Amino acid sequence: MNARMRIFMTGVGGQGTLTATTLLSRAALAAGLDVTSGEIHGMAQRGGVVESTLLIGYKSPKIGHGEADILLGFEPLETLRALPYLKPGGLVLSSTESIAPLSVATGKETAPSVEEIRAKIIARCGSACFLPCRSLGLEAGAMQSGNIALLGALCALNVLPFGRDVVEATIRATMKPKVAEINLKALNLGAACPA
Amino acid sequence: MAHPLLAGAPGETHLLLGNEAIVRGAIEAGIQFISCYPGTPSSEVPDTFFRLSPEASYTFEYSVNEKVALEVGGGATLAGALTLVTMKHVGVNVAADPLLTLTYVGSPGGFVLLSADDPGCHSSQNEQDNRIYARIAGMPCLEPSTAQEAKDMTRTALVMSRELGAPVLLRTTTRVNHLRGPVTLDAPTVLPAPVGFQKNPSKFVPIPAFARPMHLRLLETLDKARTLAETSPLNAVSGAGKVGVIASGISRAYLADALLEADLAGAVKVLDLGFSYPLPEKLIASFMDGLTTLLIIEELEPVLETEIRALAQKLGISINIMGKTPGPLPRFGEYDVAMVAGALRTALGLPAPAPLACSCGADPVVTLPNRPPNLCAGCPHRAAYVAVRKIFGDTAVYSSDIGCYTLGILPPLRAADFLLCMGSSVSSGCGVSKASGQTVVGFIGDSTFFHSGITGLVNAVFNRHDILLVILDNRTTAMTGHQPCPSVDKTTLGDNPSIVHIEPVVRGIGITQIRKVNPLNQKATLKAIEELKAMSGVRVLIAEEPCPLFARRAYGMKRTQVAYVAGDCAEAAKDGTCGDCLNTLACPAFYLEDGKMAIDPILCAGCMLCLQVCKNIKARKGDA
Repeated sequence: MNARMRIFMTGVGGQGTLTATTLLSRAALAAGLDVTSGEIHGMAQRGGVVESTLLIGYKSPKIGHGEADILLGFEPLETLRALPYLKPGGLVLSSTESIAPLSVATGKETAPSVEEIRAKIIARCGSACFLPCRSLGLEAGAMQSGNIALLGALCALNVLPFGRDVVEATIRATMKPKVAEINLKALNLGAACPA
Repeated sequence: MAHPLLAGAPGETHLLLGNEAIVRGAIEAGIQFISCYPGTPSSEVPDTFFRLSPEASYTFEYSVNEKVALEVGGGATLAGALTLVTMKHVGVNVAADPLLTLTYVGSPGGFVLLSADDPGCHSSQNEQDNRIYARIAGMPCLEPSTAQEAKDMTRTALVMSRELGAPVLLRTTTRVNHLRGPVTLDAPTVLPAPVGFQKNPSKFVPIPAFARPMHLRLLETLDKARTLAETSPLNAVSGAGKVGVIASGISRAYLADALLEADLAGAVKVLDLGFSYPLPEKLIASFMDGLTTLLIIEELEPVLETEIRALAQKLGISINIMGKTPGPLPRFGEYDVAMVAGALRTALGLPAPAPLACSCGADPVVTLPNRPPNLCAGCPHRAAYVAVRKIFGDTAVYSSDIGCYTLGILPPLRAADFLLCMGSSVSSGCGVSKASGQTVVGFIGDSTFFHSGITGLVNAVFNRHDILLVILDNRTTAMTGHQPCPSVDKTTLGDNPSIVHIEPVVRGIGITQIRKVNPLNQKATLKAIEELKAMSGVRVLIAEEPCPLFARRAYGMKRTQVAYVAGDCAEAAKDGTCGDCLNTLACPAFYLEDGKMAIDPILCAGCMLCLQVCKNIKARKGDA
């Protein structure tokens, strides 16, 4: 395969970052691509940051600073935190709906506003796409499907070496019908976002 | 429908987690017996075996600790069963005693030890390099770097072990355990039932007179294994040139990508070392022939580097060997593609690469507020810590242990002052109080108590130590993914038919100063702690309440009420009724809204701890 690609994903424990990673990896495999993905478990699951990777055409499951072609952020503060992984001119897709870290929620620290985060990201990447993932997930039928909305937007940008149809087929093949229905709806809602 | 790991047909390709691939490799080899103690990054191996066990023909157990797991597995292989024992790297320290003699005694049925190492300390207290155990114990060592290799090498390791009658080490690292990749399946093997233990004392009982010849036999076995390594397809030479690279484990993946990106594939000579111990000396000698420079890429200790330097010296080969002594690669942490690419350029005499530009430039992303992991909303450990802190404050030394509850280190709970290893809360806590006379309160979880807390507690009674031990019994092994331990009444597969209760064990040791409470009942918990504080000697508080995540899964428990702030916090602060729960509990459900404390009704787990801390918080019905 000559189309090599590195995608870095980040989110907060419980958001389904790893579900999205596995779904996209399965889709890449179904498209006949040489895919490797990676994830870091452990302490991170207790409300901490969850980071994962998806690489096409590489052997390593790890993405270093400045190496990611695409950064998918399921939470805006985490998108900003992961920006060092993005290569210059890279693409960012991020949710705009934040989950405040405890220190921020309880007034001990302040976090940049979503507008500030947006501005910082736009100033530092090649192109960016923002969408309200949690709301789209709720509109589709389950908050947790917000991560699939972000994948929908990614598909719509036509940057992956496979189409939305492959992701749809993978959702149908790997999820229970009811859950698949919600996620297909979320995928479509997300796909309508990039204008 | 049968699971593809069990029923998948030869030739099928599945996307598998490294740890799932290990399970499939074992099934393809005809695995008969698996024992383990869970621990990140190894846990999905035993958890997958456990989940599949109702429809599989192997025997599986979660042992109480790694030493026991290795001993049980050692017995199984002596009885002729093809055996896999799994643990994380530090678990091998616990299991080292039986391991270093099992290699003398041998493993007639076949025996593979999976050691899941953790360079970078993603979820561990150290980053020790367990390839050294292959050397000290005398075991052939295989190191996969992809999901496909994780499957294939597990099968190869088991088959080789059975053929040699000797234990083999399968050594992975976090990145390999937790990567996903396509795995093409091969056919499973069905082995004949274990032949049973065959009596032969001179072969199996290492009294000194027998141990000496056993050691010689082990050295002969290692020579045989070395011969296998010389021609093994797991050790492959590619490329050409005057500069050579030898890499092992996940470093091989970084090397492949570095060569690909720098367009250097073929420009250097590469030896991929998948079967890394015993070192294939002839293969390496012929690989070094004609090279001027050799770069060795291995994470953590310079194990191969030292052995290859010694080999070059022995053979009188003049070659410039580079690695990590002195450099260019470090002796700690994980590697990555950029780091390996940099080392390659150094070996090729090229100028150091410009550091990879990243999108943030000089932007201080590091100043963003952190998002550390935290005890979940409704976690009973929080309630136990709050009560102990209320009574002991900073007057006690808090001796901690390994589990979710280590997160009690974070403010405002600050309930972890030191930690060595599984079970150290008890014995090291005793050491602190004995040496200094300081008050010590230790915290240990239920699974850790059975793992290695009991021994320390027996010692505490026998040596008349002074400690208050809080056993945080949340009815499961929460940190590593809700595995069962002896005291649980439920597992994810149903009821535990043979429960070992904690309280009678503690009583049986001879401890009489015991209290048992539900930590979510603060009044009773505070009373019990006060009573135990007034006593001396060995005292135990059992704080029993299920992990809310596990209770939802295993007991189908639903919350019946949620907490909300009914009073005015500002008023309460003035009139002294404010319990300051925002600052003392650090519950993830709490937040400030326009300067006022509020409770997120979605995140609230309904534990009602905050109600007992502040009168201004009330309960209302809620089963969301």
